[in-house]
Amino acid sequence: MRFRADIQNIHTFTKFTASLATLGHVAWLRLDDQDVRFTVVPEKGTQVWAVLSTDTIFETYTIQSAAANNTINLEVPLVPLQRALKSAQNAIAAHIRLTKKDNIPLLSLTIKTTTINSSAPSAFADRDGNIESTGDDFGGTDREGSVDFFGRQDRETIISQDVPIRVLAAASVEGLHEPRCREPDVHITLPNLLQLKSISDRFTKLAMSTKAGTRGGFSSASGPRLELSANMHGCLRLALNTDAMRINSLWTGLNNPELDPDQNVDGLGGIENHPSTRMKALGDSQGQSEEGWATVRLDGKDWVRVLSVGRLGGRVIACLCHEHAMILYVYLNGDEPGVGESVLTYYISSYSQ
Amino acid sequence: MTVLGFSLTPEATGRIYEALVCLAKFGESVAIEARGDKLTLTALNLSKTACASFALDARSFFISYAFNATSPAATGDRFTCQLYNRALQSVFKGRANDARGRELSIDRCDVSVQDRPGKAECRLVVKMLCKHGMTKTYRLTYEPVEVMHALFDKTAATQGWRISARVMREYVEYFGPKTEQLDICAADGKVIFTSFTEKIQDGKEVLKQPMETVITLHTEDFDDFHMQENVHITINVKDFKAMVLHAETLHTPISAHFSYPTRPLQFSYQNEGVNCSFTLMTMGDFRGASSTPNPNFVSTRSSSRQPSIAPVTLQNRSTSEMPPPARPAARLNPDKTLSSQSQRGPLRPQSHQPLVSEPEPDDDSLFMPAGDDERTWDPPNFDHDEEEEEMLGWDAGNDMRGSEPHPTFRDSGRVAPPSKQSQQQQTPSQWEDGLEPTQRLSQLHGMFD
Repeated sequence: MRFRADIQNIHTFTKFTASLATLGHVAWLRLDDQDVRFTVVPEKGTQVWAVLSTDTIFETYTIQSAAANNTINLEVPLVPLQRALKSAQNAIAAHIRLTKKDNIPLLSLTIKTTTINSSAPSAFADRDGNIESTGDDFGGTDREGSVDFFGRQDRETIISQDVPIRVLAAASVEGLHEPRCREPDVHITLPNLLQLKSISDRFTKLAMSTKAGTRGGFSSASGPRLELSANMHGCLRLALNTDAMRINSLWTGLNNPELDPDQNVDGLGGIENHPSTRMKALGDSQGQSEEGWATVRLDGKDWVRVLSVGRLGGRVIACLCHEHAMILYVYLNGDEPGVGESVLTYYISSYSQ
Repeated sequence: MTVLGFSLTPEATGRIYEALVCLAKFGESVAIEARGDKLTLTALNLSKTACASFALDARSFFISYAFNATSPAATGDRFTCQLYNRALQSVFKGRANDARGRELSIDRCDVSVQDRPGKAECRLVVKMLCKHGMTKTYRLTYEPVEVMHALFDKTAATQGWRISARVMREYVEYFGPKTEQLDICAADGKVIFTSFTEKIQDGKEVLKQPMETVITLHTEDFDDFHMQENVHITINVKDFKAMVLHAETLHTPISAHFSYPTRPLQFSYQNEGVNCSFTLMTMGDFRGASSTPNPNFVSTRSSSRQPSIAPVTLQNRSTSEMPPPARPAARLNPDKTLSSQSQRGPLRPQSHQPLVSEPEPDDDSLFMPAGDDERTWDPPNFDHDEEEEEMLGWDAGNDMRGSEPHPTFRDSGRVAPPSKQSQQQQTPSQWEDGLEPTQRLSQLHGMFD
């Protein structure tokens, strides 16, 4: 069993890991020739199934396994992985490989950085420090081996981070399947997640503070509930309903992406009979009508954790099955053609009233 | 009656808070020791393997500093007491940052220790003189105790390095938060810092095992570097982190001094009237370090090296003629000669009067050549007692204080200056751990001369 790769896009990989780490401690990582899959299935709350094409985060990707389809299944603790990646933020190169030490399997990251100039006068050190901190890309390579004003050479520092993991047998992951869900009633592109998150944060806090004051012990078992609704006319509504208050935020003018006819042939007569087509006939673009909404009830705390995926800055499409579930697709590569598709899929089930 | 009184600027108040935060990582109480020239804050950990000490210089750190040595509370010429770190921290917390705390910011901080014989409570009184004429007074109860000091002999610690705290700070961030130990090893022009945890868990627990971090730095990143090759010195990661985080607040390079594994290691740095030192017990394979026939050193200390013949000559002379009759008694410790030849000889190519002309890092003649004097003078330790190797000595004694430059050197100060005869008697045992290199090199003597 062999896996090694150069990490190509450390910032994406770090943010991606950080987003997953909010939902669970451990991820199931499946590597094969085509893509890298991260799956987090917590005991309670939202599941995320992410597929990254190998070139999203890796280059010179090598994998070799005795298992079927050249697949490696690993169980990876996310917090250490995130921490390991964090130490590569200013790296000029980073490399990951599967290895074993003292009989413990490891994902070993080898990170090359240059040392900030310590003994130079402070102005010089500052300049170097700034270069280090603002250089978001990996253009630092040209600094390698450069001789500075004082005739000293920049030196490479090598950091290696060994994250202990578990190798999973193919049999032990056989039973894990991506959830299946009926065709959604409404699909809509979400607004800026930062905005959505800050409003969700505030609603969740409000819900918790009113609950603590009014209902006491009864509600402590269930978290604060938020209601998210959308229609097929570009409206999204986030609402909080408690005994004491009803508040909501309404977005209008959002995009309802068109369905791809090629991918819906298996439905009951194609797009014409798709639930979303029927929902289109109802409601209005101002969100004033009470008709045409698909609604899901979310746990506020869990929802806020899901929204931390906003740091990746991808396009997010929400598919709502009325009073049943919501599926969130986060597309990383945007619409660039030719690049393999990288998408995170969140399965969020709706609470009953 | 006031034993001790001093005033602090807001900045100095902040420095004290930073020191307390750092000390809190070592022990829950802070020992305060006042002398005429300095105020020392120390903390010792529970297992007594780490001691952190901050000496605040009476003249440069304080606005005013008055120590009344004639007070009955001051035994000898010092006053010592102990307080809970948390209590002190809460007094000093957040007092310095003027930018944030408008009402909280202070103009001055006055501290006095009032010793009232006949009254049950001894008080440490801290007055924060704030803006708008407001004064906040805190009265803390202290416990008069003896202060323990870590014994550390810099003359024996010939190896070491110095590096900017800022650089080190960058790297300590990478150490996993739950790792326990830090291994330092030099090889091939590089130094390797490894943070790791020893316990290995099985099954599902494997995922909870902290990750292991290895950082490889070029020795050129250090201002000074001198360490025996392939010797592993192991300390506690948390102690190291606490030290580096504090050193960074003082914007100063960190110096490390050590000899070999199982002997204490000391980190020190000073700036703005604060002298910080951390004495830590090290782990590792002692034999690997001391019995290597020809120890190689990774060093930046001497850039223009002379031909390797020169050190060989030096070592031959010193070993075959030892003890040279001309040397003063204070420098006669053969152990010191050994350490200087085996560890520094190759890098200090002084030719024919090596022992007299070779400057030790700390060449104060008051300091006895205390290399291994515990072993030299204590019969029970004569046979290289394993336990003794692991022990870090502490000075809790009372009797000699004030008479030496630093209580650290109490042991060497108390014993009579070594007579030549006793030195010679000690010599064979002293040589035991250094015997191998001595013999080989004297064989070389015949070949080269």
